[in-house]
Amino acid sequence: MEMTDPAAERFAQSMLAELPLVEAPESVWRGIEARLDAGERPRPAPVFRWPRWAFAIAAIFAIVAAIFWRASQRGWIDTGHSSQTIAIGQIGTVTIAPGTRLRVVADRPEEHRLALQHGEIHARITAPPRLFFVDTASGTAIDLGCEYTLTADDRGAGELHVTRGWVAFVWQGRESLTPAGAMVRTRPVSGPGIPYFEDASSELKRAVDGRLDVNAALGAARPRDTLTLWHLLQRVSDTDRAPVYDRIATLAPLPASIDREKVLRLDPEALKLLKEELAWTW
Amino acid sequence: MTNHPVQVTTEILAACRTGDRDAFRSLYDTYKDRVYSIALYFFHGDRAAAGDASQQVFLKLLTQIGQFRGDAEFSTWLYRMVVNTCVDMTRRRKRTTDLSDTLPAPARQHEEIEQRQVVDAVQAAVAELPEKFRIAVLLRHFDDLSYEEMAAILNCSAGTVASRLSRGHRMLAVRLKKFQERWK
Repeated sequence: MEMTDPAAERFAQSMLAELPLVEAPESVWRGIEARLDAGERPRPAPVFRWPRWAFAIAAIFAIVAAIFWRASQRGWIDTGHSSQTIAIGQIGTVTIAPGTRLRVVADRPEEHRLALQHGEIHARITAPPRLFFVDTASGTAIDLGCEYTLTADDRGAGELHVTRGWVAFVWQGRESLTPAGAMVRTRPVSGPGIPYFEDASSELKRAVDGRLDVNAALGAARPRDTLTLWHLLQRVSDTDRAPVYDRIATLAPLPASIDREKVLRLDPEALKLLKEELAWTW
Repeated sequence: MTNHPVQVTTEILAACRTGDRDAFRSLYDTYKDRVYSIALYFFHGDRAAAGDASQQVFLKLLTQIGQFRGDAEFSTWLYRMVVNTCVDMTRRRKRTTDLSDTLPAPARQHEEIEQRQVVDAVQAAVAELPEKFRIAVLLRHFDDLSYEEMAAILNCSAGTVASRLSRGHRMLAVRLKKFQERWK
C-alpha cells in the first residue's frame, strides 16, 4: 500500500536516523597540519608571528598605497607595458593587464568600485556579494563572490569570463548572471548579451552571439545550457517564450512548484524559482 | 541527529585569526565529524573524497577566517563552504570511486549484519538522490538547521529548501520501500 506524503517523509526521516555520524579519521587533521606547516595561514592575520611575512605584507601594502596615492593624484591608472596588482580593501585583488586604463571610483568598506575604460582586469574577490563593482561603457560587473576576467574597449565592447562563483552584469535594467565556466559578451548601447558556458557548442554560441536565432539555440542546447535558455526567456518576444520554456522543461524536468504561466509572464519570483531549480546544474 | 556542536566562541575565532594552532584544533574538533560525515555520504561513502573535502573545507576556513563577519552564524558560513567544496569537487572529479575505500566496514554478528544492511541501503538511497536534494537532506540530518539557515547556506529561498527536503524525503521513502514493514 502506498504511503501518504507526510507518512513517507516521516518514514524517510526515521530511516535517515540509521545513518551514523562518522568520526573523521586522524589522517584528515594530519593532512591539514602538514599544509599548515608548509605555510598556509589565515589572511589577513592581524598578528604576525613570522618577521618575513610581516616584511612581505608591509611591502605589499606600501606598493598598494603608492598605487592608490598615484591614482588619487592623477585619477587614472595606466599600466603601460607592465601589469599591476592592486588590493581591493581586504576583500581581494585585481590584476591589471598591460595597456589598461582604469580609475578607482570608490574604496569604502561597503563599496569598492572601479571604472574600466579599456584593457583587461582579473579580479579575485572573497567577500559577501555586491561589494565590488566594475563600471564599463556597456554596463557594470557586480561581484557575487568570485574570480573573473573582464575586457573592454573604449566603446564598451568586451567579454566577461568567470572562473569561480558568479558575476552579474547589468545595464539599464538588463541583467546577465554568469556562473563559473561561462562567459558573456558586452556591447555598447545594448549592454550584456546572453551568457553561455565556454564548452557549449559553436551552434549555440553563434545562435545567441550574433543575430539571435531562437530555434538554433533551442536545438543546440544541452541540460547545462539552461543557463542560456533561462536568459533567453527574458530576451525573446512573447510568441517565442513558450517554446523556450518548453525546451527548458524537456532538458531539466521541473517540479510542480514552477508555474509555467507566471514564468511566461516574466513574473520575477517565478523566474527566480526557475533559476534556483536550474542553477544546480550550472 | 540531535547533538549540537559546542558553540564556537568569539575568543576561539579571534585566536584562529592570529594563527593559534590550538584554537584551530578546537574549532576543528567541534565540527570535524559533521563535515566529514556530510562529505562522506555526499560522495557515496568514498572515504578518500570525504577526507579530501574535509581538509579543503578547514584549510579554506582557516585562510578566510579573517573575512568572517560576526553578523552571520559561524555554522552557516562553515556549511556554505562544505556545500561549495562538495559541489566543486563533484564537478572536477570523474566518478571513479575506489570500492575498496568505501563504506561499509565488515560486520560479523547477525544483528550487526542486519543493521549494516539497513545503513548500507540508506546510504545507497541517499547517494542516488540528485545533488541538490542530497545536500539538503544531509545538512538537515547532521545539524538540525532551520530552513532560513539552510536557505542562506544553499543560496535559495526557505520555500525552495522546504520543497527540496520534502521531495528528497519522498524519493528516499520510495527507494527504501522494502524496509517499510520493519518500520511499522
